[in-house]
Amino acid sequence: MNRARIGGMGIAVLVILASGCSSIGVEPWERDILAKEEMQLTTDPVEAAIDDHIYFSKEASSGGRGFGGGGCGCN
Amino acid sequence: MADNTPKSISAALAAATCSLLGTAPATPVQAQEEPNWEFNTALLYYGENDDRVQDLSLNILARRLFVDDRSLTLGLTVDTLTGATPIGAIRQNVPQTFTRPSGSSAYTVPAGELPLDDTFKDTRVAITAAWEQPLGRLWKTSVGFSGSQEYDYTHLGLNGSLSRDFNARNTTVSAGLAVAHDTWDPVGGAPLPFAPMLDVGDTGNKSGSETKDVIDTVIGVTQVISRKLLVQLNYSFSNSSGYLTDPYKVLSVVDGTTGDTVPRQPAPGAEGPSHEFRFENRPDERSKHSLYGQAKYYMGGKVLDASYRYMTDDWDIDSHTLDLRLRWPLVESHYLEPHLRFYTQSEAEFYTISMVDGVELPRFASADYRLGKFDALTAGLKYGWKTRGGKEMSVRAELYRQNGTIPGDLLIGNQVGRETYPDLDAIIVQFSYRFSR
Repeated sequence: MNRARIGGMGIAVLVILASGCSSIGVEPWERDILAKEEMQLTTDPVEAAIDDHIYFSKEASSGGRGFGGGGCGCN
Repeated sequence: MADNTPKSISAALAAATCSLLGTAPATPVQAQEEPNWEFNTALLYYGENDDRVQDLSLNILARRLFVDDRSLTLGLTVDTLTGATPIGAIRQNVPQTFTRPSGSSAYTVPAGELPLDDTFKDTRVAITAAWEQPLGRLWKTSVGFSGSQEYDYTHLGLNGSLSRDFNARNTTVSAGLAVAHDTWDPVGGAPLPFAPMLDVGDTGNKSGSETKDVIDTVIGVTQVISRKLLVQLNYSFSNSSGYLTDPYKVLSVVDGTTGDTVPRQPAPGAEGPSHEFRFENRPDERSKHSLYGQAKYYMGGKVLDASYRYMTDDWDIDSHTLDLRLRWPLVESHYLEPHLRFYTQSEAEFYTISMVDGVELPRFASADYRLGKFDALTAGLKYGWKTRGGKEMSVRAELYRQNGTIPGDLLIGNQVGRETYPDLDAIIVQFSYRFSR
């Protein structure tokens, strides 16, 4: 697949999501479950950083969730 | 939760009376900001099979909370690494001798064994710092710094991000940028591209240090779908330029018919390689695109965390990653969390396992197994609990397994049946402790 097209598609999907999502969601008083610690996107930042670093060292891919993983001459 | 004990009722009545009378209560009011610091710490053991890489790692992340949702986060990681790592050369039916990267001695690998360099030993110290704060009611920004130092590698980076909430905070759009400048100062110097491995003491194939620059960008949308479902979608682009070669990896130079590595004689009286080996050479530019989606779904107390990433780059590597975690509450504040991760990648266009003697050198070539074609599976379990004092602890154990295949068209003569991808088994054991102070 054309890589430039993937980048364009990615941005288009994000824009569509951002505009199409205006009608879904919850009211402020319905956030009881979403406020729970285990419902956060990253529940354990240290574990997430450790995993990013391990997989950065052993695989040819990195990032996605954020920038994570780099900064080593990993063997 | 309401506390209906008589003591708290009497205290509440006393406080109410005091406020009605306009007098101060007898006990001082707790400061609003306490506790100020949150500490998130972890001790990690990572160990590979066959005495390959072992890592003992200490991680500390400290977050200081200020009023108005501002925060400072400081991170420290110390890794101690030992063990052996594949150097890229193929197996032979005879022993093979290699000059160490330092150029000061040589080592011999027995017949039939995969060549590993067992002098890998390093200590890595990494620090991070980040400041996060709201900008007005709907915007949030962060700026950060990262740095790391190991014996032969230095990393310096800056990052920043900006996000804005929409739709009654049900939608968050964010964008981030990170830049890094890294320096390789390999033991014995960085080899010249495709330079042959030379006798001990001969450093004519090495130069000094090398650098690389990395720019990462990410844009994303986080969307609340319902009371129980939260999703995120990110697109990220990463560009690396400069020295992207691994200075310790080599390729075997082989006979075009038999596939066996070409023998070599060290100079009279010298110690040196028994066969012909050349250092690898990769392109000095790489661009990666990733699409990442994550969903958190609450199911009657259990929480499913599912994510998927597709990555493609201009080295012709495509990868898919699927990650699944299920947080399963037990009695009180205890929980179990099984974890499964599936990964697959295709090989880089310049990945090969050997170079044919006597033919023109390719532009790029690497036999680094991490640029090869393989699948990986991670399976693990975490057990976590919260103490009565509010401290959180968890233990996790995971198994990481890589299974690779060497594309058939890369195998020459006797390599068929003898060469196999250096499969990897690793265990990950981690203890985490989280507290506030």
